[in-house]
Amino acid sequence: MKTDPSRKVRLRSAVVSLLFVALFGTIAVRAAQLQVVKGSWLSSRAERQYQRVLTVTGKRGTIVDTNGDPLAVSVQATSIAADPRLIKDPYGAAKRMAPRLNISRKVLQKKLASKRHFVWLKREVTPDVVEAIRGLDIAGLHFMAETSRVYPAKTQAGQLLGFASIDGRGLEGVEFFYEKQLQASSHKIQVAKDALGRGFDGPPRETTALNGKDVQLTIDRNIQFITEKALEEAVTTHEARNGLAVVMAPDSGAVLALAHYPYFNPNAFGDFQRDDWRNRAVTDPFEPGSTMKIFSAAAAIDSGLVRADSIFYCENGAYRIGRNTVHDTKEHGWLSLQQIVKYSSNIGSVKVAETIGAKTLHRYLTAFGFGSRTGIDCPGETPGRLSGYKSWSAIDNGAISFGQGVSVSALQLTAAAAAIANGGRLMQPYLVKAIIDASGKVVQQRSPKTVRRVVSPQTARTIQKILHTVTTSGGTGEAAALEGYTVCGKTGTAQKIGPDGRYAPGKYVSSFLGFAPAEAPALAILVVVDEPRKSHYGGQVAGPAFRTIAQETLHYLNVMPAHGMERLRVAIDEEVKG
Amino acid sequence: MFDRRLVQYFDWGLLGLTSLIAAMGLVALYSAVTAGGPAAERVLFVKQLIWYGVGLAAMIVTFVFSYKSFERWGHMIYLGSVGLLVAVIFFGKYVGGAKRWIALGPASIQPSELAKVAVIIILARVYAKMATTSGFNLRDLVTPAILVLIPFGLIVQQPDLGTAMVVALIAASMTLFVKIQNRTLLTMAIGCGCALPLAWLFALKEYQKQRVLTFLDPERDPLGHGYHIIQSKIAIGSGMFTGKGFLKGTQNTLNFLPEQHTDFIFSVLAEEWGMLGALGLILVFLLILAWGLNIAYGCRDPFGTILCVGVVAMIFWQVFINIGMVMGLLPVVGVTLPFISYGGSSIITMMIGVGILMNVSMRRFLFEQ
Repeated sequence: MKTDPSRKVRLRSAVVSLLFVALFGTIAVRAAQLQVVKGSWLSSRAERQYQRVLTVTGKRGTIVDTNGDPLAVSVQATSIAADPRLIKDPYGAAKRMAPRLNISRKVLQKKLASKRHFVWLKREVTPDVVEAIRGLDIAGLHFMAETSRVYPAKTQAGQLLGFASIDGRGLEGVEFFYEKQLQASSHKIQVAKDALGRGFDGPPRETTALNGKDVQLTIDRNIQFITEKALEEAVTTHEARNGLAVVMAPDSGAVLALAHYPYFNPNAFGDFQRDDWRNRAVTDPFEPGSTMKIFSAAAAIDSGLVRADSIFYCENGAYRIGRNTVHDTKEHGWLSLQQIVKYSSNIGSVKVAETIGAKTLHRYLTAFGFGSRTGIDCPGETPGRLSGYKSWSAIDNGAISFGQGVSVSALQLTAAAAAIANGGRLMQPYLVKAIIDASGKVVQQRSPKTVRRVVSPQTARTIQKILHTVTTSGGTGEAAALEGYTVCGKTGTAQKIGPDGRYAPGKYVSSFLGFAPAEAPALAILVVVDEPRKSHYGGQVAGPAFRTIAQETLHYLNVMPAHGMERLRVAIDEEVKG
Repeated sequence: MFDRRLVQYFDWGLLGLTSLIAAMGLVALYSAVTAGGPAAERVLFVKQLIWYGVGLAAMIVTFVFSYKSFERWGHMIYLGSVGLLVAVIFFGKYVGGAKRWIALGPASIQPSELAKVAVIIILARVYAKMATTSGFNLRDLVTPAILVLIPFGLIVQQPDLGTAMVVALIAASMTLFVKIQNRTLLTMAIGCGCALPLAWLFALKEYQKQRVLTFLDPERDPLGHGYHIIQSKIAIGSGMFTGKGFLKGTQNTLNFLPEQHTDFIFSVLAEEWGMLGALGLILVFLLILAWGLNIAYGCRDPFGTILCVGVVAMIFWQVFINIGMVMGLLPVVGVTLPFISYGGSSIITMMIGVGILMNVSMRRFLFEQ
């Protein structure tokens, strides 16, 4: 029996063809299964692998002083992280990185061998370390750009600036109040990353457009420095609990310096107590004491009910109103209004207040801004406390006229004094004069804002003259007198109210409030020293600090001394004649 | 020796199919080395073009002389090939833990690739001489078995399990094609069944066992041995129906694909051209195989027929194993995708294979009256 060989071959070819088609069919079906049935699932898996959503954030804005000196800046820092799953050789990688990161090899190896997707190796490292680690070319490392907030002036204006958290949010002070402007914007971008995780950090991207805006303060670092030193001196010399000082430009209400002692360093805000970083000049109310006589005197004169030379009987040091007795530190007989202010007679002040009445006093004090917030651009402002005159008792009218039973903030008090200095207009105090965008363009310019006219220019002039006598011989503020400049001011010595609601013996708030030079006031200054122990009279405790601040600042601002002017004029006249 | 009919009978169809598959391969390779991988790999595209030039020359040489001379010189070709495999042991260079290459000036050759052709020729010669109608029994198969086992063993020791397996599969295919007694077939099947566990226990190296285990469950070690196959499946699957477009394959571009220009090049193609591209490639392969079988069927000379079956088997198994592997149907073994994967020895071997098919095809007139 013989089979046809060609038939045999044909049969086998058919079998083989069938086999080929069947096996190829298998892979074709598999291709369809992967690409069509599981296609979208595998696609999303692919996307998850290569797509990273990267949040690109600009830099937080800089806070600069009036001259453009930086007070708070954000600097780029790089943090190094790793994806342990991509680290091929944790031992080797740890061994190579350990000396450069200054972390022990064991600790590093443990991190690199973990099962997580992401571990920080070291936050905020210096550029040379970043370069060194990059140079090792270890796959699976991430270099994350971060910014950290630095306050180059350290403690200077610390309470005023406040601080921002590690993640770049303003928490206190200007940092908090101007959060919206300072805050950097960010946007999310999708980037592709390769199998080694590269592309995650990518090339540096242009983020200027995302930067926060710069905030330019009215504060002058030099004046701030002068003020802080003088305040520190006053507080330490008199072993006081703390102190604060405000320097303001009377014509505009711009705050030139705002000092607190003890200092606060926002670079290390965690090391301080909450009390240390509060901007007390704005947030804390206190009883002003005799500095208030400036405003009750202004009320008396401006209302037309009393003149500077109107005389009042000062009861030789003790004056009984109902169940209370008002005392003077020195016994006085008849004093004019001017003398009442100069010698700071409480009884005199009470008599004046009785003459003008509670309603008028209240109207003027309210007009000076007491009892309401100034609206300064700073968080946590206190309105102080000035109750309605209808609820005043017999003693209240008099007591409030010399600064008891009323509480104010240091800023309110300075702004009110500035109104006397500038001829009677209450200006709204402010801390920020301009907002500048990342390209250097001024996007918001603050112009001085007059709140209201409080007293007439004539009244202001009269009060200025009276206040000048305070710093002349025999006045309570002699220690505040300047060389070459005429100074207007008023001392304040207020007893502090203890926790039981009564005045605590031996605890005082000593202050000096004034402005200079008298002819054309360039500065309104308040110095408040809390609980001085060596001496408590405002003139002795706060006066010298006032003088130092005024003297040095006027020099710094090149304000011509009045007496010098006189001499210069004489010299010129002689030259012209000669 | 030149016959005018050689031109008349020239197999233009096969040349066309070969050109088509070569073009597809070059497009895929261009993507693999340009879009992904280090810059140093870009030169590989030019090198592949050169290899195709050399392959073309080898193909022409292969079909110019009658395939009858292969039968005559088959034993010499076989001995030369085995000699090269032995030379690898002494002069070979280590690449990635294996000694598979012989350096020849700037290039290097992989004797195991050429050994596949040598085995096809020697088996065709032996089986053609032993032609029988009742089928071979076990004793008849001793000589072919020894002839296959010598290169097989030499390739396994390199180690190059993939190529060794292909050699074995080619030999098995050819042996099944020429008839075997049913009894013998049964005995061999039982023998293989017993050999598998023994091979697992004694012959396979640890990394090879890992590959098999990973094949069974790739997700058990997604960053180690399973990584390749998972990434490959993601790349293929994310190509979806129409693909992501030329040079736009993300998984390739971003280096998620391993060995994207050699063993895993199918993933690059499937990612960029989608299921249409993948099925298109498989279809072209199928056409080439059908063409080859048709030549085998048309040849009246047992040697020519068996020779063509061997070549077809070689192409078939490599395509099936490679694509099956990158799609997760088979364990990962180092088998290149014919005409597509980068590699001189692979391209030349495949072009010689095409040359053999053409040779047989254009000499079919010898049997016509």
